[in-house]
Amino acid sequence: MTRDELQGKIVAILVDEFEFEDPGLTDNLRDDHGFDSIDAIELLAKIEDMLGYQISRKEKEQAMSIRTISDILDYIETIQTAHSS
Amino acid sequence: MTRRVVITACSAITPIGYGKDAIVESLRRGKSGVKALRDDGLLTERIHSKVFGTVDYPIEYGFARKDTKTMGPVAYYACKVAGDVLAASGLDQEFIRSGRLGVSFSSTHGSPTVQRNIYKTFFSEDQSKFSSIGAVDYLKSMVHTTAVNITRMYGITGRVVASSTACTTSSQSIGFAYEMVKFGMQDAMIAGGADEYDTTTVAVFDNLLACSVDYNDTPECTPRPFDVNRDGLVVGEGGAAVLLEEYEHARARGAVILGEVIGFACNNNGGDLILPNLDGITATLRLALEDAGRKPADVDFISAHATATKMGDVIESQAIAEVYGDKPWVAGLKSYMGHTMGTCGAIELILSLYMMEEGFLAPTLNLENIDPRCAMLRHLREVTETETRTAAIQNFAFGGVNTCLLVTDGRE
Repeated sequence: MTRDELQGKIVAILVDEFEFEDPGLTDNLRDDHGFDSIDAIELLAKIEDMLGYQISRKEKEQAMSIRTISDILDYIETIQTAHSS
Repeated sequence: MTRRVVITACSAITPIGYGKDAIVESLRRGKSGVKALRDDGLLTERIHSKVFGTVDYPIEYGFARKDTKTMGPVAYYACKVAGDVLAASGLDQEFIRSGRLGVSFSSTHGSPTVQRNIYKTFFSEDQSKFSSIGAVDYLKSMVHTTAVNITRMYGITGRVVASSTACTTSSQSIGFAYEMVKFGMQDAMIAGGADEYDTTTVAVFDNLLACSVDYNDTPECTPRPFDVNRDGLVVGEGGAAVLLEEYEHARARGAVILGEVIGFACNNNGGDLILPNLDGITATLRLALEDAGRKPADVDFISAHATATKMGDVIESQAIAEVYGDKPWVAGLKSYMGHTMGTCGAIELILSLYMMEEGFLAPTLNLENIDPRCAMLRHLREVTETETRTAAIQNFAFGGVNTCLLVTDGRE
């Protein structure tokens, strides 16, 4: 999956299921879209569904530093790289 | 020093309507909210009782996703009626967020719909779904889900009480809220209860032979409190909330006073967890009068728990007769909508307030031939235009918990 394809999928999830309006890649998830810790847990479950495998506890803890959509994309790419190696 | 506690707003979603106008019309017309049990694809076929007190009309919630993400169906009812009382009260945002407004609200199970989905996942052969059981499902299904979703949605920062005691859930909620305000811990409390459509509860009572089964083809003819042909309770759903407020606080802001809670009692039978107990119930009724500083003759109307079980109605009749004799009017309001479980006390209080305000009392529906063992009371058999100043709302629960709330109308 290319970065553009990944971005399309994540933005679609954020718009369709988290009711984001006009999301920008560098928007602050919490301040600009009211994205909270509960949303983060739900999004991780959706990312697992999308990837087709479970994310480890340690990898999930790393997600807590995510602040923007770009961070989400970086995070997923890091996980994909780890799981493919 | 104790303080007076008045009711300054209320709202109820019930099987006989949502809001005062619809509910009063149903009471005056003798309209039942008991319908055929909806198919849940799981238990319905195995349950003998095929009736349910059903909320089957559309409700405009208008909640945002940021709020609904932690809400199961039960929290929708709870947040709707809580929002109604806040809107009707006119309380300002500064007070709502001050810490002097609390929430005393709960349900019988949390959200059984969400719990059922969790168990489906547990017993699924698809192991990958386990990770989907997370914080959100717990927040939707935990027993205090209604109370904390109310605080979250409306920014309330005061105390949270979530009494979950089956059929006395909301009468305890209101009673404990009354005590919070009476003794100065809070200046106002949103209090009540909610329960959603749930066949698990029906199955439990069905297995205990406590559910109505003889009127499956004529749902509106059951339950039949105090009637010789009653055959058990009917489970129902709904939500109800009152705003309890310290009297001087309410007066100072010019609030409309709908009623006053003047007494509350709660005890336990200390024994059998299922069977009604005459001594325990009688003591509760007396304790409430004592708490209110009133005599039995002061009470005009009794909203009986009256679930229409064989023994429950008889024991309650004996307790009422022992404490009150045959002076106060008695009605079993569950006859209109079944037993809304954790909501019933709050709904029955609100129905009583509506009737007091409108100057009438509704009869027990389906009371055609009074059981001779219940006949010593002054039963309401027809809509009666009468002034009611003081009412007792009685509720009893599995586990042996008994409650009684005493309220007066809003007149000074």
